[in-house]
Amino acid sequence: MKEYISNNQAETEKIATELAKELKGGELLALSGNLGAGKTVFVKALGKALGVEENITSPTFVLMKVYNIEYERADKFVHVDCYRLSIQEDLFEIGLGDYLNYDNIIVAIEWADKIANLPDTAIKIHIELIKDDKRKITII
Amino acid sequence: MRILAIESSCDETAIAILEGNGKSLKLKKNAIYSQIDIHKQYGGVVPEVAARKHVETVIPLIDSTLGKNKLKGVDYVAVTSGPGLVTSLILGMATAKTLTFANDLPLVAVNHMEGHVYSNWLSNKELVKDSQKYFPALILVVSGGHTELVLMPGHGQYQLLGQTLDDAVGEAYDKVAKLLGLGYPGGPIVSKLAEQGNKEAYDFPRPMMDKPNYDFSFSGLKTAVLYTLEKKKQVNKQDINDICASFQTAATEVLAKKTIKATQEYNVKSIMVAGGVSANKDLKQVLNKQAKKIDLPFFYPDLKYTGDNAAMIATAAYYNVINKKNNILKNKAIFDLEPRSNWQLSKN
Repeated sequence: MKEYISNNQAETEKIATELAKELKGGELLALSGNLGAGKTVFVKALGKALGVEENITSPTFVLMKVYNIEYERADKFVHVDCYRLSIQEDLFEIGLGDYLNYDNIIVAIEWADKIANLPDTAIKIHIELIKDDKRKITII
Repeated sequence: MRILAIESSCDETAIAILEGNGKSLKLKKNAIYSQIDIHKQYGGVVPEVAARKHVETVIPLIDSTLGKNKLKGVDYVAVTSGPGLVTSLILGMATAKTLTFANDLPLVAVNHMEGHVYSNWLSNKELVKDSQKYFPALILVVSGGHTELVLMPGHGQYQLLGQTLDDAVGEAYDKVAKLLGLGYPGGPIVSKLAEQGNKEAYDFPRPMMDKPNYDFSFSGLKTAVLYTLEKKKQVNKQDINDICASFQTAATEVLAKKTIKATQEYNVKSIMVAGGVSANKDLKQVLNKQAKKIDLPFFYPDLKYTGDNAAMIATAAYYNVINKKNNILKNKAIFDLEPRSNWQLSKN
């Protein structure tokens, strides 16, 4: 388990970028934290570090967005947002089946606490608002 | 020309029949089965519940819309093929594919956001009569999933000038409603409460307003509301109204300022607003006022066409057909059509 204190958006982005460097492909990142905690900020920086060229926008409305990436260990980055899901859902029923457990795909899920069958291997990232721009980020 | 359109991109199943003759459009049928009451119980969308409801409703809805004439007289079938929830899109698409293949009809694949753009044609006879007079048009596309400024030089032509870098404005409305504990869908509730609030009570940020581009950002505005709530700890009714009013004013101001700026750089002949947030009164009032100042016509869709509907999909399909766009499929090619959940308007 790693714990970080981030004092601003730039520091959060740096933590995400460092994490991106450790990814080997095939990982599932599970993000949790309240509205405004900074989950999207984290995923945007992570995706950028993985080589997503387009600007990563919130996938809240369409549930997921798939990006092709130029990265030595993976060629797709999938950004999922379960915010609009109201009850606990199955990973496969939201249409993620095509993207899970492939070595060439990295998946990041926001509001992952709304997923009922999250695998134990998922990298869990919890972001907590402390005060104003200060955040506590826990990675398990 | 008679077009049957099917829309199922999110949580409404909708069918429409439209007739067009070059000079006027006639909406013959327009039926919507909304799942909003079902999803309200959950406080959000449940994809497999939405998909199941589409399965249950699409055929009865088509049957009751078409009546005993069935497909007689229909020249084209149009269907929304993106953007939207894949699990919802595929149901309308499977229905449209089967209908067209079995009846030897052409299928028009329509971009949902293009449908929203054409809700302006559906609502304004003036535009149908003489479209050319109003091109190039500047379209502010605002919804739960989109915030874009699009230049429209002619029918079916779209150039993206700028877009949100994070949350869509409709999403910001929904999330602010959630922070304030106001329920779902949040947009209409926030704008209603804003009418009783003081818009100067809180000085929320106007993200990116003075940046020399046409991009937007609404995530920070939502976070500013969160910080305000954290500091206050307790909020009464009036506080909530004031927060709604101040938030709405900030959002509208950024949207309007960038829109007006773009009209000058691109020398447009009209301004239009499209998408679910075009129902927002404040946005329409401010845009209308500012468009008048610079002497540009401002168009917006009738309230009944601001939400998801199939009439706008039929209208977009009509203009696709008469302008000979290449998204019209026939015979076996119909089955190659796939849902495009992130289909961008400028990549038609």
